[in-house]
Amino acid sequence: MDFPSSLPPSLFTTGPLGLSDVPDVSFMCSWRDALTLPESLPQGSENTAPHVAKVLLWEPDTPGPLPLLPPGPDPWDPGVTAQDLLFRGGYQFRRQPQAVLDVTEQLSRFLWDHGDIAFAPLGKLMLENFKLEGARSRSKKKTVVSVKRLLQDLGGHQPWGCPWAYLSHRQRRFSILGGPILSTSVASLLGELLHEELALRWEQLLLDDAFTGGALAWVPGRTPEAGQLVYPAGGALDRLYFQKVNLTPGSEPRVLGGPGHIRLRGPVRQVVTRTVQGEALLAVRSDYHCALWKVSKQGQPAPLQVLQVEKGATGISLSPHLPGELAICSRSGAICLWTPQDGLQQIYKDPETLVFRDPSPWRWADFTAHPRVLTVGDRTGVKMVDTQGPQGCGLLLFRGGAEASCQKGERVLLTQYLGECGPECLHPTLHLICTQFSLYLVDERLPLVPLLKWNHGLPSAPLLARLLPPPRTGLPRPLLLAGQGGELQLLHIAGEGASTPRLAGPPQSLPSRSDSLSAFPPLEPKSQWRLQERLTAPAIGLAAAIPPSANTPVLSLFQLSAAGDVFHQGLHLQADPGPDSPAPTASWTPQATASCSRWLKALLEVAPAPPVWAAPTFSHRRLLGCFEPQKAEGKAPEGLRTAMAKGRLLQLRDLGLLPTEERAPAPEPGPEDELSERLEAAWEGQAAAWWERRRGSSLGPGKQPKRHKRRTQLSNTFSSLSGRLDLSDAASPPPSPEQTLPAARPQPPVTPPSQESTQELWARAVPSERQQTLRDYMAELPLQGDAPGGASVPSSQTSSVRATPSRQRAAVRSGSQPHCKKPRMGF
Amino acid sequence: MSDFSEELIRPTTEDEQGEPRAPSGTGMCFPWLQKHIETIATGGKQEKDFAQTTSACLSLIQEALLKHQWQRAAEYMHSYFQILEDSDSNKRQIAPEIIWRLGSEILYYHPKSSVETFNTFADRMKNIGVMNYLKISLQHALYLLHHGMLEDANRNLSQAETWRYGEKSSSQEVLINLIQAYKGLLQYYIWSKKKMELSQLDEDDYAYNTASQNMLNHSWKTSINLCALIQIPGVWDPFVKSYVEMLEFYGDQDGAREVLTNYAYDEKFPSNPNAHIYLYNFLKREKAPREKLISVLKILYQIVPSHKLMLEFHRLLRKSENEEHHKLGLEVLFGVLDFAGCTKNITAWKYLARYLRQTLMGSHLAWVQEEWNSRKNWWPSFHFSYFWAKSDWKEDKALACEKALVAGLLLGKGCRYFRNISKQDHQVLKKKIKQMKKSVKKYSIVNPGL
Repeated sequence: MDFPSSLPPSLFTTGPLGLSDVPDVSFMCSWRDALTLPESLPQGSENTAPHVAKVLLWEPDTPGPLPLLPPGPDPWDPGVTAQDLLFRGGYQFRRQPQAVLDVTEQLSRFLWDHGDIAFAPLGKLMLENFKLEGARSRSKKKTVVSVKRLLQDLGGHQPWGCPWAYLSHRQRRFSILGGPILSTSVASLLGELLHEELALRWEQLLLDDAFTGGALAWVPGRTPEAGQLVYPAGGALDRLYFQKVNLTPGSEPRVLGGPGHIRLRGPVRQVVTRTVQGEALLAVRSDYHCALWKVSKQGQPAPLQVLQVEKGATGISLSPHLPGELAICSRSGAICLWTPQDGLQQIYKDPETLVFRDPSPWRWADFTAHPRVLTVGDRTGVKMVDTQGPQGCGLLLFRGGAEASCQKGERVLLTQYLGECGPECLHPTLHLICTQFSLYLVDERLPLVPLLKWNHGLPSAPLLARLLPPPRTGLPRPLLLAGQGGELQLLHIAGEGASTPRLAGPPQSLPSRSDSLSAFPPLEPKSQWRLQERLTAPAIGLAAAIPPSANTPVLSLFQLSAAGDVFHQGLHLQADPGPDSPAPTASWTPQATASCSRWLKALLEVAPAPPVWAAPTFSHRRLLGCFEPQKAEGKAPEGLRTAMAKGRLLQLRDLGLLPTEERAPAPEPGPEDELSERLEAAWEGQAAAWWERRRGSSLGPGKQPKRHKRRTQLSNTFSSLSGRLDLSDAASPPPSPEQTLPAARPQPPVTPPSQESTQELWARAVPSERQQTLRDYMAELPLQGDAPGGASVPSSQTSSVRATPSRQRAAVRSGSQPHCKKPRMGF
Repeated sequence: MSDFSEELIRPTTEDEQGEPRAPSGTGMCFPWLQKHIETIATGGKQEKDFAQTTSACLSLIQEALLKHQWQRAAEYMHSYFQILEDSDSNKRQIAPEIIWRLGSEILYYHPKSSVETFNTFADRMKNIGVMNYLKISLQHALYLLHHGMLEDANRNLSQAETWRYGEKSSSQEVLINLIQAYKGLLQYYIWSKKKMELSQLDEDDYAYNTASQNMLNHSWKTSINLCALIQIPGVWDPFVKSYVEMLEFYGDQDGAREVLTNYAYDEKFPSNPNAHIYLYNFLKREKAPREKLISVLKILYQIVPSHKLMLEFHRLLRKSENEEHHKLGLEVLFGVLDFAGCTKNITAWKYLARYLRQTLMGSHLAWVQEEWNSRKNWWPSFHFSYFWAKSDWKEDKALACEKALVAGLLLGKGCRYFRNISKQDHQVLKKKIKQMKKSVKKYSIVNPGL
């Protein structure tokens, strides 16, 4: 093998991360890599063209990736967000941002919503540990309260969470007495656990390394155009799908038939494929299992081996040299090599990290140019381990430290062996190492000194990377890098033989899934939000293929999101990016938008995920007991009781009071109301369907009769208003048992009509801003009787009167106001 | 309730989150943390408008750069200069470096930019924020060098070389050394050009004398420039190479040897294969004794057993009289063929086939078995699988024959690779295959009789 005859100059310092005194010679300029030092200057070099490296630009066919497959039938929920975990009040901008976990709110919410869970065990614990009964008090005067029942109460009959629910006197007293004890014990027991859990979740939100390496694989088929996508889908990502796809240069790939699938026993985290000596192999990592399949020429998978990883697997990789060999990393710090001949063999074990202490149990292993040497990586560095040598020893390939001029807080997130031997390849000894800030290329023959460092600047963790074969002979190899947030970058890596690997041209960003939002039809906010959420789901897989094409090289890029959606993006190499030609921007084709609409329709048909948390239900046993003695009261209490017993909402018909036309309030017209119907549909996410239906129905009868109908409706509401005036005139409301349950009476409290009409009379002369004051004042006066039947009371006025019902009623009922006050006082 | 609330307040007051920007206490830094925090921002002290616009502008520039929209990036860059007036001194201090990094990148790729524009920009940037003077000078010189403007680059570096600011810090010192080294490299380029001219001149010519005088001058200057940097641990291949070439030219063999030996064997330096290769090549030119060459290559063999010089190493070992060396010669060949990048190296296979036969003929079966023991469980599937038998025969028949001989010797004639190749019918290779079969029958380490 050739070794670069002259390496780029670099300073070598040893030391910890973030050693600031060392000048960063690389400066992390992409153009600097183009500046390789000439071996010896050729004659007349003064006149050579400045842009030696041709800038390569891949142009997307569409402004964003398109969904390749219809959305799965299972709903998807994005899970916890920063809003759920962090303290929201008093956010302060800092140069170095700081997150504060919101334990207070979480704890109070927990006590609020799940009081039964929070307190029931406490009661039980106390019952077990305290002798509470004592001697029976002989005195008649009860000074000692038996706590036993109280504690039982805590467990069983506590009103679940609702502070307005019924509390027995005993419980009230207990909560006052036991408050200090309860709160401290809850805080110390729960608070600690909760804080721990929140910290864990927050860490996971910042970096979820489960999908490191990616769970989408492209298994090449018989012809270069045909292949299979292998990816997990389903609500729990526990079904491994095999979808045959045919790539056609210049158009969207064709999906052939439905996907076949294998159901696994856990969520699939990583899918790796390699073709070694003509044999396509597929390795899958789940949380606690790893499996290996062989894919036949026809594309049929045949299982070879299943391995169980007790402590949890963090990485799997397939050997590029020997068919069927794979390396598995465990959370315990062990790395195992599985070979068809020798079976499983532990080759490395160290629960500690390589360079400095880091708590992360994440481990990674990959192969090197020597089939018996593996790389072992953790957050702090990467080591080369000889599987045949004594265990545990080896050379460090990468050190998180001053050697690679790492920043403070920098950690290894991904390491990948880039040496797949092809006719035209880079040095088969290169390794890619990604941290949250930078990307490094390291040659295993020159450990510790990165040959290339580039600041990728991705706004999320780069956990996916794919090196592709050169699109055409003589061109550099594209390297795809994807962040967890779905951001994509494409770099070109050149350098074979005696030259050092370097970036060929400036890196390029590719459209992410969220860029496709503009291809979808406009939606109502709720669906829009859902779509947006779906499009910004974390990226968990990346695969790419370069189908052979006659003229311009094309690139097919597949992305898998955490929601199980597979997106496709076609790219083609810009023929000749002339110096002055502006980069042409791609636009959506009608086919693209049509396929997006189809996909969206299918997505909106999927029922949204059931909420993780539901409102607390009430314990009604106690309340039911209270009602028991009262008998023969009529239909209403009985209905109430049955509704309570069943735990459902009390409805009018349960009380036997069927809503009549007269009782219906003005803003609730008949069932024909278009607006509320539409809102209702939109609320359920069926607005598009509603519109279709509406349009379909409106085509027939025309619009004229409807408008007429609407008008009659309007006038109906007015007439009903006036009708009610007549009715309630006769029956001034006496205090009835029904009034203790105001919530059960949907009709507005009836106001004496006389007031409305009198207001009507004087209101015309008074400036509008003073009308309310006046009205309030007037309301205090029980003016009776002499009003004319105001037929044309504007509805706005009635409603404004209704806004202050209780005071009015109080006024009416008391009836003790002296008549001497003059109605027009002050005017 | 007091305990309770204390428990909850603690994280805010005590900075329990550990390192700044590291809320989980793992010490890890998350560049995307700010984004998460911003999603929950409801009130409190916000970043200043000024800071907001500049950071938005920065991200727009970066976005434009990643989309290769140089024009747009240049437009945003225009607005970004306002950061130099930021009231935050910290930001103001790091701003020039960011501006330089982005600005130079834009100017490097912008279709309408020229060397003059770049020069103007670089000269301005050097004097904004003194801390970057050296770095920018160095990069500027590299840019000029890349554009073939050696004189300008040299002038630039000379200027930077004499620049001082405040107390000389260690980082400054390293940078000055680096600048001097690059200057030395430039002088080397000029020197090698002159050398070329000189080789075309007649020795009796009058011009010859002045030219050689010139060269001497250059060499003296260069050696001063180069030797300081190459004492500092690092990878200095181009500098070492040019320095040694000049020393050699002027007959300072000892000096050159010292430089190379130091570069190869100093423990503070990273283990750079090139250091050993340079030393080996130098010794070879010097016609050093074989023992010396072998000892150099032995170290290279420890570092890079897959290097192409290993075949040369094998030849040296084979020629040696030492029995140990013969054994090592076999080991080296096996070592080369262990690597994925060398599997199709026909020379290596040829050497191995020949040397294996020779070793077995010399009844050193133990050597072969020692090497083979660690490889017998993976070489068959790595090299001698049915797949390779077919594809090697299709691609390179000579390679297939060499491999088949090795396979036969190591695995016996029952081996699939050997069987597959030996039953191939080929006019030209008929004789060779026949010979191969005979060798296998005679010397294979797998005795079919047992």
